[in-house]
Amino acid sequence: MIVFEDVSLVYPNGVHALSNISLNVARGEFLFLVGSTGQGKSSVLKCIYREACPTSGDVVVDDWRLSTLPHGKVPFLRRKVGVVFQDFKLLRGKTVWENVAYALQVTGATSRDVARRVPRALELVGIAHKSKMFPHELSGGEQQRTAIARSLVNNPLIMLCDEPTGNLDPETSSEIMALLARINSKGTTVVVATHNQASVDRMRRRVVRLVHGRIAHDEERGRYHVGLG
Amino acid sequence: MDWGRTQFFWAEVAQNFTRNAAMALTAIGTVAISIVVLGVFLFARSSFNLLLNNVVNKVDIAVYLKDEATPADIDTMMRQLRADPRVDNVRFVSKQEALETLRKRLAGQVNLGLINVNPLPNSFVVHTIDPGDVPPLAGELQAKPQVAFVNYGSKVTEKLLVIRRVLGTIGLGVIVLLLVATALIIYNTIRLTVFARQREITIMQLVGATNWTIRWPFVFEGLLTGLAGGLIGLLVLWPAYQTLAPKLTLNLPFLPLNLADVSVGHIALELVLVGAVVGMLASWLSVSRYLRPA
Repeated sequence: MIVFEDVSLVYPNGVHALSNISLNVARGEFLFLVGSTGQGKSSVLKCIYREACPTSGDVVVDDWRLSTLPHGKVPFLRRKVGVVFQDFKLLRGKTVWENVAYALQVTGATSRDVARRVPRALELVGIAHKSKMFPHELSGGEQQRTAIARSLVNNPLIMLCDEPTGNLDPETSSEIMALLARINSKGTTVVVATHNQASVDRMRRRVVRLVHGRIAHDEERGRYHVGLG
Repeated sequence: MDWGRTQFFWAEVAQNFTRNAAMALTAIGTVAISIVVLGVFLFARSSFNLLLNNVVNKVDIAVYLKDEATPADIDTMMRQLRADPRVDNVRFVSKQEALETLRKRLAGQVNLGLINVNPLPNSFVVHTIDPGDVPPLAGELQAKPQVAFVNYGSKVTEKLLVIRRVLGTIGLGVIVLLLVATALIIYNTIRLTVFARQREITIMQLVGATNWTIRWPFVFEGLLTGLAGGLIGLLVLWPAYQTLAPKLTLNLPFLPLNLADVSVGHIALELVLVGAVVGMLASWLSVSRYLRPA
């Protein structure tokens, strides 16, 4: 589903973010990316949704070889790759319902489609009862649920989460992780960059540790401190 | 077109306006003020041009004929002048008519009864459509064998034409500068409104909106902002014109100018167009800055 072929990434300011990363994530897999701040977790995710382009090497997502993907096709890639952030990135001027609907509407979905799929996504993440509220009226956990619903509504093949629980209390964090596991169980490939040790240790999924932009350790059913001795 | 998409587009435009009302109103207000300033200058320039044209248009060419010119010559010349596309109208003034006019003008001052012969020549008074044609036409007429001499107050006329040209150029320069300034003010205001929503644009890109899906509502908003600003500007300018124009005409009777002749409708259309077009282009350019390739 996701293949990194010897990927290196140097940002225009000269920072070496990734060095010779080779990684293969199977369809339906759940993967944790761990490592302290600045080790390249977000950069790996950015390469998948084409926010960053590798300086060398290539990334293949489903059937898309991203180095040759024209700029005009990037939106279509992103409809298949849902992204969730630590700061939620919700549209402040839109309600929960409108935020989720927006991701559908920009794909040219009919109003009938929107009316059918938005409530389903909201129910799945457990936020349907707050659909008329604006993001600032919600708690952090509720905002993150909304963001997850938004990334889900297009039935993405892959869901990328960049520190999805970074701003949340431990209890809410566990709920969000459980929600991601549930989404994964329905067949969506999920990649989570996180510092949330408790969840990683409890869930025992594949764990990839990044150190200085390189893969330091990669283990099935790993723990947070995998590779640290 | 799919009704759902049309509805989505209009809902986006409407929502952006209502939920960013303070920003939208500030932008509209700024456009309106810029348009008022531009409008005052456009009106002043039109009035001034009209004034200069009215002065210059009073210039006629007097073509004095030699006494040898036969009635047939005069007739031919008359026809030629009437056929000339530069000529507005031609009037023939006979020797007798000229003498009569002179008598009337000098009545009580000089006794012309003492003169037995009429020393005045036959003449044509020619008025051109474009005052700029006066000097060349006068030159052509002077070259004709039947013509004794031609008079059009050449020094004064040529000076007036030069003044009109210079002031016209300066006026145009000022208007161009003002247009650029207005465009820049509107552009900057709209750029700020787009800048404030940079985060929104990033999010739209993240959820897979194409550049066109993002751009169109912004461009349309820019158009509406410009249009609304332009119309509000006109709402301020129109009553001001209605109140002040008659007073100005009344208080400046010595100027050959009727402000009612200034084509205000034309100016109004220009102002609204400037607002709308600049508003639209400003949005387009501002959004495009954030739609760069990843």
